[in-house]
Amino acid sequence: MDSRSTTNSAEPLALSRRSFLRSSALFGAGAVALAASLKPLLSLKDGPSMEQFLQKYYKELTPEEMQKVLERISREVEKEYGKRPHLRDLKPMDGVDFAYFLNLSRCVGCRKCVHACVKENNQSRSPEIQYIRVLKMPHGTFDVEKSEHNYNPDLVPEKGYFYMPVQCQQCKNPPCVKVCPVHATWQEPDGITVIDYDWCIGCRYCMAACPYGARHFNFTKPGIPADRLNTEMSYLGNRPRKKGVTEKCHFCVQRTRDGLYPACVEVCPAGARKFGNVLDHESEVYKILTTKRVFIQLKEELGTNPRFFYYFDV
Amino acid sequence: MGDKVKKRAVLSVLFVIAVFLIGGFWFNLWGKVSPVRQLPLIDADSELLKTDTWRKSYADLVREKGDIDVFDCYTCHDKDKKQELKYDKDNQLVVPEEHSDVVMGHGTHGRNNNCYNCHNDENLTQLQPRDGRPLKFDQSTQLCGSCHGPTLRDWESGSHGRTSGHWDHKIEDNKPNFVKKDCVNCHDPHKPKFPKRKPAPPPNHLRENPQPSVQSDTEN
Repeated sequence: MDSRSTTNSAEPLALSRRSFLRSSALFGAGAVALAASLKPLLSLKDGPSMEQFLQKYYKELTPEEMQKVLERISREVEKEYGKRPHLRDLKPMDGVDFAYFLNLSRCVGCRKCVHACVKENNQSRSPEIQYIRVLKMPHGTFDVEKSEHNYNPDLVPEKGYFYMPVQCQQCKNPPCVKVCPVHATWQEPDGITVIDYDWCIGCRYCMAACPYGARHFNFTKPGIPADRLNTEMSYLGNRPRKKGVTEKCHFCVQRTRDGLYPACVEVCPAGARKFGNVLDHESEVYKILTTKRVFIQLKEELGTNPRFFYYFDV
Repeated sequence: MGDKVKKRAVLSVLFVIAVFLIGGFWFNLWGKVSPVRQLPLIDADSELLKTDTWRKSYADLVREKGDIDVFDCYTCHDKDKKQELKYDKDNQLVVPEEHSDVVMGHGTHGRNNNCYNCHNDENLTQLQPRDGRPLKFDQSTQLCGSCHGPTLRDWESGSHGRTSGHWDHKIEDNKPNFVKKDCVNCHDPHKPKFPKRKPAPPPNHLRENPQPSVQSDTEN
């Protein structure tokens, strides 16, 4: 002990003026380099606010806390787009299990649903995010490898092909929910798989897990012109997303949980899209399920058990 | 001595690197994000974004107080005189010039070429289903159903045709907002096959379509 304390007390003497200056110069340079490397953080605009950073998990929020969160988001949207949104947190209804039916004999491949969806759900226009992808398929196969989604003829439908729009299939056994490491996506009692955009960490595991390519990632801040913003919003639905989160079709929760048809059903000029509560025996989806014959759950063999059915009729 | 020189050399190299890094970060030499290519917007008034049906039915026109003159047959026709149909030598109906907007294309092989299969020859403002009951123009769905029974059944159950409004139309409050579109909202009764149309533009993928056919400055 004694010898060590002696060496310690002797050490300052070993530090010469030159080496002190040299090491302080180096240390100073390092500190300035660190400060310079952190400088871009000062100009960071799309980072989370303290309020958002400290926000609790969606399912743990009390109604009062939810109200505060909605108020914060409304404020942020108003600041960004100059419009006060009508933002709600719509909860699933009791005794409702949504089902979606798409009549492949009727679809003409006009892609109106794609753009109605973009308009309704405040998707990024540039870069482009679209929840619906219409596949042009040759007759006689369901092999999506043979499909073409960049088709752009003068007139549709083309002879020898049918059109299969693919969007989130709202699986009863969703692989995307299983892989999410932070539980930012889950299935609600009415069957809709939703995402909490404030909880998503952007790891994109769900995108890798989804066999339908239904999930999309915001690589940049979504480009939505202010005059195109749909102000009828829902927390788990179409409120503007931020950079670095995934998003997908949510059966227009801001519409369907308010009793309305989804935007794609409203716009389909061929009446190919049918939506409703499959538990209600008077609904059109129940009647289709019980009276029509051919049903396809896309990639049925994967066991995802979609709520989205394709069917044919005459 | 060799150690001292070596140490000095290492320190100088480290110093130069530090200065270089300071300059680099300060002037943001390698952090510049390349600008995102602006994609064109779809015109807000475009037909693509409208939820209107392909056609307007008589009932729609009455509701909207639109132009229904074309349904008032007796402004031109004589009430007491029966209109005879004219056929050419191939037994095809000759559509008179006054009705040139009517394209006869109902049924295959030109077999449905008699106006009075659907119109009442004794009262032109009425429709003529197969069972003989008179129908007005706004009841055309029943006329279509008198031949297309299974389709009418599907339409009534909601599995054929366009619906609009509320998915839960059992609830009394929702009933006024629920609309089931008529056959003639989508099908032209004289040529019911669905017309072909121009599709909306294809998607612009991040990687697959690097050069879209449209210019980049149409952002508004």
